[in-house]
Amino acid sequence: MTDLVMPKLGLTMTEGLLTEWHVAPGAAFREGDVLFTVETEKVASDVEAQADGVLAEILVPEGETVAVGRPVARLVGGAGAGEAAPRTLPAGIPETPPAQAHTPEPGGGAHEVARLAPRLRATPLARRIAAQQGVDLRALSGSGPRGRIKARDVARAAQAPAPAPDMRAAAGAPDAPMPAATRIALDPVRLAVARRVSAAKRDIPHFHVTHEAEVSALMALRAELNADAPPALRISVTHMLIRALGLALSARPAMNRIWAGDHILALCEANVGMVTQTPDGLRVPVIRDAGRAPLDEIAAQARALAERARSGALGPGDVGDGVIAVSNLGMMGVSSLTPIINPPNAMILGVGAERQLFRPDAGGAPALRRELMLTLACDHRIIDGADAARFLAELVAILETPLRLLRPARRAGAPSAGD
Amino acid sequence: MSEIRYIKAVNQALADAMEADPTVFLIGEDIGAAGGSFKATRGLLDRFGPGRVYDSPISEAAITGMAVGAALTGMRPVVEIMFMDFTTLSMDMLVNQAAKARSMFGGQGSVPMVLRTPHGGGLNAGPQHSQCLEAWFAHVPGLKVVCPSGPADAYGLLRAAIDDPDPVIVVENKALYAMKGDLPDAPRDRERIEIGKGRIVRAGRDATVVAYGAAVAMAQTAAAILADDGIEVEVIDLRSVQPWDEALVLESLTRTHNLVIAHEAVEAFGVGAEIAARMADIGFDELDGPILRVGAPFAPSPFGKTLEDAYRPNADRIVAAIRRTLA
Repeated sequence: MTDLVMPKLGLTMTEGLLTEWHVAPGAAFREGDVLFTVETEKVASDVEAQADGVLAEILVPEGETVAVGRPVARLVGGAGAGEAAPRTLPAGIPETPPAQAHTPEPGGGAHEVARLAPRLRATPLARRIAAQQGVDLRALSGSGPRGRIKARDVARAAQAPAPAPDMRAAAGAPDAPMPAATRIALDPVRLAVARRVSAAKRDIPHFHVTHEAEVSALMALRAELNADAPPALRISVTHMLIRALGLALSARPAMNRIWAGDHILALCEANVGMVTQTPDGLRVPVIRDAGRAPLDEIAAQARALAERARSGALGPGDVGDGVIAVSNLGMMGVSSLTPIINPPNAMILGVGAERQLFRPDAGGAPALRRELMLTLACDHRIIDGADAARFLAELVAILETPLRLLRPARRAGAPSAGD
Repeated sequence: MSEIRYIKAVNQALADAMEADPTVFLIGEDIGAAGGSFKATRGLLDRFGPGRVYDSPISEAAITGMAVGAALTGMRPVVEIMFMDFTTLSMDMLVNQAAKARSMFGGQGSVPMVLRTPHGGGLNAGPQHSQCLEAWFAHVPGLKVVCPSGPADAYGLLRAAIDDPDPVIVVENKALYAMKGDLPDAPRDRERIEIGKGRIVRAGRDATVVAYGAAVAMAQTAAAILADDGIEVEVIDLRSVQPWDEALVLESLTRTHNLVIAHEAVEAFGVGAEIAARMADIGFDELDGPILRVGAPFAPSPFGKTLEDAYRPNADRIVAAIRRTLA
């Protein structure tokens, strides 16, 4: 018998939410059959069998989150099954080895199941307080023996994000009816997003730098490029921002890095994420190699990714491995946006709506300008303020002299206009 | 108020009860002229005469049977069984007669008897003279069991037991007989203690230790040790083992969320098991750690001092249990 393990689907994936089993215990499967679905990094991935076999026993039920490499089921035959081929990584990047597909069987027998199944350990009091205060026990790590979650762990977690006062009053009397509110059960997607953004806001020391960009020339270029293009092929401001970020990252490879806990990962390609609203919540598909790809190709990639994101068809290759994402709420009219970094990214760019306003020109006379407010959120563990300021200034310089968007990227390390 | 020893408090309770009620009489081995093996009945033969203080033959079954019969006919006998180990010989009379009479006679009769007996080790008395068998009696519907932890309780619980209309087993810890405590001088000021009610002897917020008999002092020592580390332990003296003060223990648990039960008796199948099981049921949502028991290991009590010291529960083992449940 072999163990089917939780695969590692991204650079920094440490755990996955097993959302669905597609094969019943005892059932046979063929190579290529989808065995189960994993939700991670805002994307659902199907894990396929790499060989024929039989699913002997399910160790991790639907809805449980387990660490990478942990057995989720046991197989008969089907050697190699469960190794969902991870995306090939660019050369030269330090990487932990991919998930071991078949861990040796540690003894067998019914008792192994109980030992391997990741059961939530919490005291009755901790469970009661968590239920009353709406704390997700799965997001906590217990300080008691064997990782047991105790009341003090829940209290600590409950202190962090204080619920609204009226909700807290209601929590004191759990059975009392709440006339002005309805309880809505958490779906796994919302839960995954909630855990992710909570962890990001809690664990990443964010700081922000803000810069306005004068976009008259950018808008003029966009109008020219789109003049003869059919609506389906038009370039958007977001596409131009992605291209500009690709150029800026290529010019400053020191910014193309992410914090990975015990080491730093330096990425070779300038991959840029695009925060996309979908019916299932936010998704962050990644445009590959935005430093080298021409604007038209970036636009094509972005349109295809957005479409796949909205239809829930993003694959493991469509997300991850980026250092930065763009979150553009300009179309909603907001002046600026201070977003939360999407782990494991090191940065995220919040983009506001274009505003027309007067600025004094060289002679002090009012000059009409068209400006975007750009807010760059940075992970201070890896980026310092001056780096962030120079990077943002570089981005603004590219946007204000937009013909550079049409030029191929310079080679990494070459001097650039922003220095 | 005078300071007296535990054994003297027992003696005082017997004297006061005999003074107050002419139906109270004593029966047991060597309790008359000899004043009892531990001197609980010293002076009572001279004071109340041979009609109320009977030296019996060496037959625990006969002693207990006579007491059950006397009680059924309106007397209030107080039996002394020299060591709790010997109550095994009284079992048929206690379990099948004394405990059942009220129910079998449709409430028209009762057995207002008391059986006093010492349990516990620490005297190197060996496996047949050290046992703590209170759980045996607590398991039988119809019997009450009390276990005083000091002189004032020894007085108050014995007086309440003698007053009680049903059979009560009063378990005295022989290692406590020399323990000193205060008792009021005037007989009318000496209070009875209600059977079935426990007492918080030390208040605390972090963990509850439920104990009775000699284990109460051990628990108080443990609480003092942990107080140095900022851990505040609440100590409950159960006083009565059957019925026991479930409401008090639950109330304490709802404040401390951690529970340890300590007794000198063997841990397995003991009083602690019952308390733990009840609290795991009605107190489940209050628990923030496992309920732990401290008791003797599952082995006969050894003779030798070194082995007996290792066998008997002590304050350090209670400290360790509290730390474990708080971990």
